[in-house]
Amino acid sequence: MTMTNLVYLIPLFPLIGFLINGIGWRTIPKSVGGLIGSITVLASFVVSLGIFFEVKSTGASSTIVLFDFIQSGKLNIPFAFQVDSLSVTFLLIITGIGFLIHVYSTSYMHEDEGMVKYFAYLNLFIFSMLLLVLGANYLVMFIGWEGVGLCSYLLIGFWFKNRDYTNAAKKAFIMNRIGDLGFLIGMLLILFHFGTLSYQDFFGQLKSGATANPSMYNWIAICLFIGAMGKSAQIPLYTWLPDAMAGPTPVSALIHAATMVTAGIYMIARSSALYNLAPDALTFVAWIGCITALIAATIAIKQYDIKKVLAYSTVSQLGFMFMALGMGAYTTAVFHVMTHAFFKALLFLGSGSVIHAMGGEQDIRKMGGLGKKMKVTQITFLIGCLAIAGIPGFSGFFSKDEILAATFEHNKAIYALGLFGAMMTAFYMFRLYTLTFTGTFRGTHDQEHHLHESPAAMTFPLIILAILSVFGGYIGLPAVISETHTLRNFLSTSVSNIAHEEMAHNTEWMLLGISTAIAVVFSIIGVAVHRKPNFVANTGLSKVFENKWYVDELYDTIIVRPLNALSDMLDRFVEKMGIDGIVNGIGKLVRFGGDRVRLLQTGQVGFYIFVMVIGITILFALSFFWIR
Amino acid sequence: MKAIIAATIIGVIMMFASILSNNKSGIVSLATVLFFFLFGINIWEVYESINATGVAAPAYLNNMMSLDSFAIWFSMLMSGCALLYILLLGKEIAKVGKHVGEYFALIAFIMVGIYLLAGYSNMLMLFIGIEILSIPQYILAGSDKRNLKSTEASLKYFLMGSFSTGILLMGIAMLYGATGSFDIINFRMLQTDALNPLALSGILFLIIGLGFKVSAAPMHMWTPDVYDGSPTPFTAFMSTIVKAGVFVAFLRLFHASFGNLTNHWMMIVAVITATTLFIGNITAVFQQSVKRMLAYSSIAQAGFMLFAILSVNATAWQGIVIYAVAYSVATIGMFAVLIKLKDYTYDGFNGLAKKEPALAFFTTIFLMSLAGIPLTGGFMAKYFVLLAAVQQGQVMWLVIFALIMAAVSVYYYFKVIIAMYFKTGEAELNHEVTGYDKLMLGITCLLVILIGLMPQLLLNL
Amino acid sequence: MNTLMLAVEQSTPINYLPVVLQLLVAIGFVIFMVGVTHLLGPKRKTADKLINFESGIPQVGNARQPMAIKYFLVAILFVLFDVEVIFFYPYAINFKELGTEGFMAVLMFVAFFLCGFIYIIKKGALEWEE
Repeated sequence: MTMTNLVYLIPLFPLIGFLINGIGWRTIPKSVGGLIGSITVLASFVVSLGIFFEVKSTGASSTIVLFDFIQSGKLNIPFAFQVDSLSVTFLLIITGIGFLIHVYSTSYMHEDEGMVKYFAYLNLFIFSMLLLVLGANYLVMFIGWEGVGLCSYLLIGFWFKNRDYTNAAKKAFIMNRIGDLGFLIGMLLILFHFGTLSYQDFFGQLKSGATANPSMYNWIAICLFIGAMGKSAQIPLYTWLPDAMAGPTPVSALIHAATMVTAGIYMIARSSALYNLAPDALTFVAWIGCITALIAATIAIKQYDIKKVLAYSTVSQLGFMFMALGMGAYTTAVFHVMTHAFFKALLFLGSGSVIHAMGGEQDIRKMGGLGKKMKVTQITFLIGCLAIAGIPGFSGFFSKDEILAATFEHNKAIYALGLFGAMMTAFYMFRLYTLTFTGTFRGTHDQEHHLHESPAAMTFPLIILAILSVFGGYIGLPAVISETHTLRNFLSTSVSNIAHEEMAHNTEWMLLGISTAIAVVFSIIGVAVHRKPNFVANTGLSKVFENKWYVDELYDTIIVRPLNALSDMLDRFVEKMGIDGIVNGIGKLVRFGGDRVRLLQTGQVGFYIFVMVIGITILFALSFFWIR
Repeated sequence: MKAIIAATIIGVIMMFASILSNNKSGIVSLATVLFFFLFGINIWEVYESINATGVAAPAYLNNMMSLDSFAIWFSMLMSGCALLYILLLGKEIAKVGKHVGEYFALIAFIMVGIYLLAGYSNMLMLFIGIEILSIPQYILAGSDKRNLKSTEASLKYFLMGSFSTGILLMGIAMLYGATGSFDIINFRMLQTDALNPLALSGILFLIIGLGFKVSAAPMHMWTPDVYDGSPTPFTAFMSTIVKAGVFVAFLRLFHASFGNLTNHWMMIVAVITATTLFIGNITAVFQQSVKRMLAYSSIAQAGFMLFAILSVNATAWQGIVIYAVAYSVATIGMFAVLIKLKDYTYDGFNGLAKKEPALAFFTTIFLMSLAGIPLTGGFMAKYFVLLAAVQQGQVMWLVIFALIMAAVSVYYYFKVIIAMYFKTGEAELNHEVTGYDKLMLGITCLLVILIGLMPQLLLNL
Repeated sequence: MNTLMLAVEQSTPINYLPVVLQLLVAIGFVIFMVGVTHLLGPKRKTADKLINFESGIPQVGNARQPMAIKYFLVAILFVLFDVEVIFFYPYAINFKELGTEGFMAVLMFVAFFLCGFIYIIKKGALEWEE
């Protein structure tokens, strides 16, 4: 009996937790509900860990059939789980970070009436997410895919008494449905052309010389990618993610930063065999990722809501991951998914800690100087910022550098734009950090009085995640530093990267140097510009940087102002009018059409029969004259 | 054959029960017991047919009925759904009016019609089945005599139903003219490359006549008015089990007889399917009343079932079985919840989750199944019929259109869920939800999920 | 019989030409006659001529008055049981050939009608006063 055969236990535990908490949410005491929720996820984590070591030592990938799901003629789709290095990597991220966030939630949600219900939803989410990554065919993945969408909807609208929040939930669900449509069509195309949905058969057929024509690969790949666009918040389907911040903060950390939004990356990495045959689709993926990364980053610079900044930053980082996928560097994308899961979960939980201390306030203009009262939060948040900004030694540095190196090799234009994105990342993250934790407090007296460090159940996950954010990157050292790239070697059994030439060492050193310089310089600028908040204007700035004032002004005019203007413009025109306009316009069109059709229902039998006869006449005309 | 005889006798017994007794609840209990009995007889028949593998399907009534294993299996499933319907809504049926026994008698007669439609092999039986199925429905639609809307529904249904029956008969007559036979086997002689225009007209008239009964656009106009006007318990019956029965008749005829003529009629059915999906889904979005929304949604669901007609392959047969059962079970459950409420509009659902959490939860499951969310029966149903169309391979555009329409349907189904969970309000109930109601709804819910997990259970032919 | 089947099998649109011709002649005749009488007939409209003809009796009030449902009920029941009798003619002719089995079938048929008859009597459908 090997560990791998116990894989069904992994989703089973959260399911049990969901059932217990879901059925008894009125009667189970809060502490017990939290305990059940956390322990079930911990149990899954332990099993995942066992399977991880087994897969690591044997390198085997296996398919475990639980039961027959659909049998119809030649088509047979079993309910089966795929255990290989890729799914195991995601298992560890989901259950590990999921557990930490459950622990955090026991404290964060303690004052909420519906806490047990919340844990039920959270467990259901973990269950669905595990189905998504464990499924051995696209159908099981799709079931998990829909399940996480549903849970996300339930959790965004968790505080449903606020109308805006329920609207946000609805928006998220509907945007995701648009993406799902693409996924479904992709699935049907695969079914139609290859007669199977299981990864093994499908990729096997792809490898053994194809049956369909090459343009079909591109279409299937693009359809699947549309699904990923919805779930992973890429242009033009990204606007739901910032709105989704209406949910409780741990939910944002778990679903909208660490796990669910990376489902799109998982899907593409899983389908690497397909995407390798679809170069046009890859280019499309890369450009969508690149544009998303840039636009989201510019918007993040302008936001004053602490969670909105992080939300746009998430969109931007997801864009980076798609850039890597577009280069055929699937393992790099997975690497970034992992490090991003660490530091973005950390940042979100840190912001939750801040919001908790501020009594629900999210506006960073009313914060400042929180570091004095909240040492642990401050330090861990700083580590998160250093990691996401790409300061050498922290995890984000290694993964982001790998992405940039991949783009440098394949597409210099995307590399330049990516570098620009990385630059803005460093800038806005340190702007956020500075405005929140340093300087003087700008809120009310009551709030100042209330400031306190969060309880241990909240700081403990912060510390763990901070440690991971520092050291998480050492499993994927660049070639100039280490001969072996641990993660890439591990994943190579299940994901096939597009082959690439080894880069010359001095080129690689140069790239590392450039990204390091950019990260460091713009982090410092980010701190410096916001040392004293904007609204005390230039005098404050000139005091801090007394002898370098013209540099500040230069940066202000050359970088900050145009960026502000650009982000303003993008916010106002592209997002509000362009994208929202298109989405709303389609809705209006449907409304209008439906309104007309509805009027046909007059209630007159004579008219009904008249319509029917007209219809019959048309059908006859069609079949006698047209179809021949 | 045993089930047909038994259902007829049950109908007669129920008629006389209403003469002999005025005790409403007694009559309901009698009906429940008799439908259990009917279900048992169906199972017995299935058991017999399993033991008789290898033997040719028995023919009855001068070869006008051919009760093959599919017919018997489908009859059994429909009896099961009818039993579930009576268990869930029996008490509500008794509240519609005075003639409780007759209502059950009419339902039993409709079951006879469904059994005939499941196993006919002669156009005469098709016609008799359709009429046995339709005429009781006209009466049931108008059973709430003092309600003007109910009377109107009945009259409208009757007028338009007779019109469509005329068209159906015309189609049968034309096919007789082309082949000289009523036997559906003989229609296979029709040659696709030299098809008699008489036969083609006959096929078209049949599509229209049967399309009317399953409320396919543009023959759907009666549906919203009739389903909305009829007493709710009977709407639940008419829009589910009856419709499924007609669909099987449709499928049987077009697959068994006209399967090799697809290039003549498939595009027509595809056009009808597209129109049905469009009108059903788009119009449902604008309804204020949940009952009327369900009427339109039943048009939309019929659009999906039409996929089984136009894809002539084995998966289509499986698809129609799963669709019939999954859709019937979820819709009957949905109506059983609806009938508990005082106000049938969306606002009537406001805050139901607070007041009756169990009821709200069951409703959510039913709606998710109707919308086709995975792990519910509705997903499997949609999956199978669309799979059939994909395997058939000529109507990919229609499949994609159907997926878009399925996405639209999520909107109006979820509006109910939003009202229940996310809006505040006092959902008023007609009468209290008893433990029995909750138990039955819970079982219905389990069935919905069971079908979603193991659709194979329905396919063990 | 054989020739009939043959004709059926070989039927093409052209074979229906006589039917179409007859249809056209029939329609044409009706239109012609109605039109000609309309044009040729003298028209003298007087009040007496324009009132509805009711068997020579002076007209009394509006004809659209509610009628007791009993009339319709009795009428429809009459039709139902009248149709039953029609089935006995073919049975009577084939009485010998159909034998015992046929007799049983007819017996069952009558039994069902008896059930229906008892039902309507018990339900009071034939009671005129209520």
